Amino acid sequence: MRMIWLIASREYLENVRTKGFWITILIFPVIFIGIYFLQSVLRDATPTRYYLLIDQSGKYEQAVDVAIERNHQRRVLQTFVQYLLDNRIEADLELTSANASTAADKFVDGVDANQVAALDDWLSNGGLDFALVMATPYLKPNSPPFKQPENQFLLADLPDEVDISAPPANIVKALRPYLTGQKSIGSDDNSGPLFALILIPKNVDEFISRPRATPQAPNPNSGIQYWASNLTDSRLPDAIANSINAEIREQEYEKLELNIELVRNIQRTRMPLNQLDPSAALGEEAVSMADTFRQFAPIGFVYLMFISLMQNVQYLLSNTVEEKSNRIIEVLLASVTAGELMMGKLVGIGLAGLTTIAVWLLSFYLFITLYDSSDTELISQILEVVLSSDLIPWFVFYYFAGYALYSGIFLAIGSLCNTLKEAQAMMTPMIMIQVVPLATMFFIVLDPNNTLVRIMSWFPLFTPYVMMNRAAANPPLFDVIGTTIMLIASIILVLWMSGKIFKHGVLRTGQPPKIIELFRLFKLSK
Amino acid sequence: MPDSVLRLENVIKTYGDFTAVDGISLNIPKGSIYGFLGPNGAGKTTTIRMILGIIKPTSGTVSILGSPYALDVRNRIGYLPEEKGLYKKMKVWAVIQYFAMLKGMQKKQAKDQAFSLLEKYGLKDFAESKVEALSKGMGQKVQVLSAVAHEPELIILDEPFSGLDPINQSVLEELINDMASNGQTVIFSTHVMQHAERLCDHILLITKGKKVFDGTIKEAKATVSRRVIVATKNDITQLRKLPGIASISETDSDFPDEWQLDISDSFDPQEILRFCAEKKLGLSRFEFTEPSLHDVFVHLVGDDAREHQFR
Repeated sequence: MRMIWLIASREYLENVRTKGFWITILIFPVIFIGIYFLQSVLRDATPTRYYLLIDQSGKYEQAVDVAIERNHQRRVLQTFVQYLLDNRIEADLELTSANASTAADKFVDGVDANQVAALDDWLSNGGLDFALVMATPYLKPNSPPFKQPENQFLLADLPDEVDISAPPANIVKALRPYLTGQKSIGSDDNSGPLFALILIPKNVDEFISRPRATPQAPNPNSGIQYWASNLTDSRLPDAIANSINAEIREQEYEKLELNIELVRNIQRTRMPLNQLDPSAALGEEAVSMADTFRQFAPIGFVYLMFISLMQNVQYLLSNTVEEKSNRIIEVLLASVTAGELMMGKLVGIGLAGLTTIAVWLLSFYLFITLYDSSDTELISQILEVVLSSDLIPWFVFYYFAGYALYSGIFLAIGSLCNTLKEAQAMMTPMIMIQVVPLATMFFIVLDPNNTLVRIMSWFPLFTPYVMMNRAAANPPLFDVIGTTIMLIASIILVLWMSGKIFKHGVLRTGQPPKIIELFRLFKLSK
Repeated sequence: MPDSVLRLENVIKTYGDFTAVDGISLNIPKGSIYGFLGPNGAGKTTTIRMILGIIKPTSGTVSILGSPYALDVRNRIGYLPEEKGLYKKMKVWAVIQYFAMLKGMQKKQAKDQAFSLLEKYGLKDFAESKVEALSKGMGQKVQVLSAVAHEPELIILDEPFSGLDPINQSVLEELINDMASNGQTVIFSTHVMQHAERLCDHILLITKGKKVFDGTIKEAKATVSRRVIVATKNDITQLRKLPGIASISETDSDFPDEWQLDISDSFDPQEILRFCAEKKLGLSRFEFTEPSLHDVFVHLVGDDAREHQFR
């Protein structure tokens, strides 16, 4: 026992002293926090974009303006919802559409349910001014004032050389340098590249397509022309298309002499949909955000398990290969038994892995407690939900089981190889196997008790991952007990076998043994 | 025998069809310096691994410090393997401490011992360096120290001299002599005969897994006949008339007209000089030397060793 402990503590200290260990430990929180800040910076940093509108038909200019204004108002609305979530008195994750009590909650819920309808309400009620009045009673006393987002799209001044009555092709030709960024548009202190040109030709109405009309050959010059170098940001063209279509439809209603007000009201009618959980207690069936988190939490655990196990077993492997290629192993085996050496390694490196997880969790915890914002508050609430769930014991069990199983295998591989290169070649299939439960973890969470998933759970190399993944969905007791027995049996088998291989492998030099030789080894050593 | 620290009886190790060690028996008395000699691939390392219980003999018995299992008495044994290696990232003193602790020493005691050994054998300045910063020879010295830091009763060194420069070789010889005079038993394997000749009380000579000689250096030398080297341009065959001369053969050296005369145990080499003066045989060289261990080695295993080399 003393020997195991001595070997374990050396392995642990050596591991912890390497640069690689600290890089792994630090890179995770750094990337996590980095992505968090980068996202919020990117969200706020979208630059003001200039557009030009040339409406030769003279009919749709207003519709485009409305589209851009709606786009702006939608951003105001979204920012306001976020502001409301940040600053309302009681942030309650157990909120559902059924138990939303205050006007503010209802408002948030309405936006969640149907953003288009909510935006219509927002605009017809008077937008921000009304919303601020409505929400004020529900805000915390020291809430900061609401900051409106700036206009994202600005109408640029038409360059002098462009004649708006010229044929569309000529206009595009004249504006092309602005669109490609060769020339800047706008006044001196407020200039930039032209983001988009919306060109509505005189004869645009000829291209309106109606149901039951004879299909026309596609023609890039038909309809409205939206010119932009940025092909990925579809918000503006979508908004314009929607708005102009709405305008056209209104014209059609008018032609048919329908009451437009009535049509609009009909479009905003909606039926609420409540998600209910049949396994919950009477009166608590409504599915809240917390319930959803509980269902998805296993994904996080599976991922954490994968990263940590990969790190550990790789270290175990390279460390065994090092000792073997250095022939240190021979001195060690003259002092301790192969079993003691193996156990010492497993314990020492396992502890190093736990240290990594502990540091990650600690830095995560420090981040959400020290950096105060609505997002971190949300995360800490999620964390609370997860910690109070019964997932933690599952994780602890499957983490150790997975570690014992995989480290046994990797240790055996390491003891058979003389160089890291050899070891890596033998390791690749093992990594591929682990990728399977990782790649399927989202599907498993969505359908945790389906037949294929249940079969997967019985394969011991998948069991820790897949069963962890299913943990939140109350898997059948038969699966839990059966796979656990299988898992423990295979851990014992793997450790026993790798003990044998280890003992023979470590003193081996030259080529790794053939499969047949390994079989002979087990036969002989019985 | 109460004074025996190690006894092997008809130990055999086979790997499939290949017999690495073929029926070795030996008995090593306490406090001696014992040399394992033999050409490459003779089975020295395999024998040592069996002694240490790292591998099991196919048949035969091992008794080490009174026990059949080396692991039972591991704290009383020190071992330096043939291929040298240490943890590269550890500090020199920490490596010695670690291996001493694996042999049962207490932490503090092991650290003190590490520093005092490093000081004694000229490595004091490197105590705080990492192993990877050491030269190969220095690393090897550190490894020797880590093998003996716990002051074991029996020390087994597999090729301890290979890779050391002449100065460090003599430092190691000094260390081995120190340990022997301290009552510790030292077994080492080598194929450099000079070390064995200077250090050993006893030698074991094996080739192809078989024992060819086991005994003192003096006994070993007795297996080779006494010889006189002479160089002459005259007819050497006249010397055949002398009764004590067993055979005359050309030497291996590049010099022409150089001859080796094997003489019987009781024959006085002066007779040769007297005979030559009488017969007016002009000698340009006359040399009477004790056979070296090298000669013994070549005599006993020469053909086997060469065969191995060209295989």
